[in-house]
Amino acid sequence: MSTLIQVKGLNKFFGEKHALNNVDFDIEKGSPVALIGPNGAGKTTLFSILCGYIQPSAGSVSVFGAAPGSNATFGRLAALPQDAQLDPRFSIAHQLSFYGQLQGFNKKKSSIEVERTLELVGLSDILNEKPEALSHGMRKRVTIAQALMGSPEIVMFDEATAGLDPLHAREIRQLVASLSNEVTFILSSHDLNELERLCQQVLYLDKGVLQHNSSISENIDFSYFTLRMEKQESALIDGLKSIEQVVDVVNSQDKEYLISVNQNQGGAPLDIQILQMCHQNKWSYRQLTNGKTLENTLFK
Amino acid sequence: MLELHSFHRIWCLAKFELVRMFLTKRGGMAIAAFATAWFLILYYVISTANDLVSSDTFVTIAYQVFSGATMREILSWPVPELAVFWVVAVYSFPIFALIATSDQTCADRSRGTLRFIALRATRAEILFGRFLGQVLILAVLIACTLTATLLMASFRDASLFFVGLIKAMDIFKSILIAVMPFVALMAFFNSFLRSARLAIIVSFLFFVIIPLIIAFIEYKLGINTYITYLVPGVQLSDVINQKNLLLNSYVIPIAQVCGYLLVGSVIMKRSSL
Repeated sequence: MSTLIQVKGLNKFFGEKHALNNVDFDIEKGSPVALIGPNGAGKTTLFSILCGYIQPSAGSVSVFGAAPGSNATFGRLAALPQDAQLDPRFSIAHQLSFYGQLQGFNKKKSSIEVERTLELVGLSDILNEKPEALSHGMRKRVTIAQALMGSPEIVMFDEATAGLDPLHAREIRQLVASLSNEVTFILSSHDLNELERLCQQVLYLDKGVLQHNSSISENIDFSYFTLRMEKQESALIDGLKSIEQVVDVVNSQDKEYLISVNQNQGGAPLDIQILQMCHQNKWSYRQLTNGKTLENTLFK
Repeated sequence: MLELHSFHRIWCLAKFELVRMFLTKRGGMAIAAFATAWFLILYYVISTANDLVSSDTFVTIAYQVFSGATMREILSWPVPELAVFWVVAVYSFPIFALIATSDQTCADRSRGTLRFIALRATRAEILFGRFLGQVLILAVLIACTLTATLLMASFRDASLFFVGLIKAMDIFKSILIAVMPFVALMAFFNSFLRSARLAIIVSFLFFVIIPLIIAFIEYKLGINTYITYLVPGVQLSDVINQKNLLLNSYVIPIAQVCGYLLVGSVIMKRSSL
């Protein structure tokens, strides 16, 4: 695996505010990376530094072995910056074509790229529209299209699906999933389910400190099951605790149960036993997952 | 190879500015306002140039305002329309340049559009590209007004066309170089300001306050500090009187352009987008 991004001892101050505090991490080429954290945690600041929009106060950041915002990153690192808007005076096609030409395409190839990327986000019919004629969601999809122009190796999406309707949010997730073999995505979102589905690595920032940097798949804790029910079942906890291998059951949130188990004990596979119990008691379940959800892992 | 890419990006950015001015609605309105103003100047001032230069009243006023024997030389140019154009344009184009080029990166910076561009071009390329675009726009406008003046003179006397054409090219070069420091000053202000209106206000204060401060410092120290050469247009009166042509027409404005763009690119590189 090759290291795409290397961050060491990164600090950023905005006056008195310590927005990023000694952040260290590497991002390798591969599956999407989730950047998670509450509002004001420093996610957008980190994105901005990686894109070269702002300078760090201390520490080192390298993207493809070069400084962010330098020649080496052009056409290789793309981003959907939060709140950035296109120029209202030009058509979508004209602006995206201009970006393509800046990336080194000639006019014709640039136009082809514009059509291809707008097609990817389901907006091939708005080529000659101006940004003002589009809805918020459509404008966002256009800016996603600009990030996919050419063949970027890293694509950073800051809240890509925020403000999109469920159908288009799903399309963007599918797009990310389908391109994730060729592109390393870095996704920031408050939708943990979305990130859990797409990402393999999680960077969890809180108050500017990187609290968690781990791989989702490698760190599945098989001493837990997460059971999501159709509705809250009053007898479920006692029922689950009656299974021999079950150590504890916590109603982690509405209709969701975190089951702590001892896998070393023999007997029938525990997931089968849980599902059989649900079936026998006519308790409708929605989902049974190995390990904790990302939400329960981060906010235990 | 890297430099070729850089030139390509600067040229792309410059071309985009030309489209913004000549092919958008707002740009079209600016062109219409410019054309109206110059129509009035051409119709009421330049078209009467032949009579003006032979009018004692005008010559007296011109000598008082611009002074020197060179004024007599200008007024004796074979194409009087170009003489009057020169006197009007050498002052009006720099003022127009300040207003017309006040938004080089401000709006894009506050809207966030610059973030899309900064993923594809360095800050210095953005600054130089936008500067080049604005200079090209002014070059087109200067060329248009000069062409109109030359046609007006040729319409009066067709034999003036060729002699006028050579003089017009000389005037074009001189005016373009004279306006470049004003565009560079605006590029410098745009490197840290977020609004074109603010850039115009700051430039107004710059042209009013800086000369006063310089005059005060020089008065107190009793020496010529030469800081005055930081102010674009400081040499314009000498340019119009055609004194020290190499220094005034080339060295001072080009040095000012380089200085403002250099400082602007350093600030731009460090500024947040």
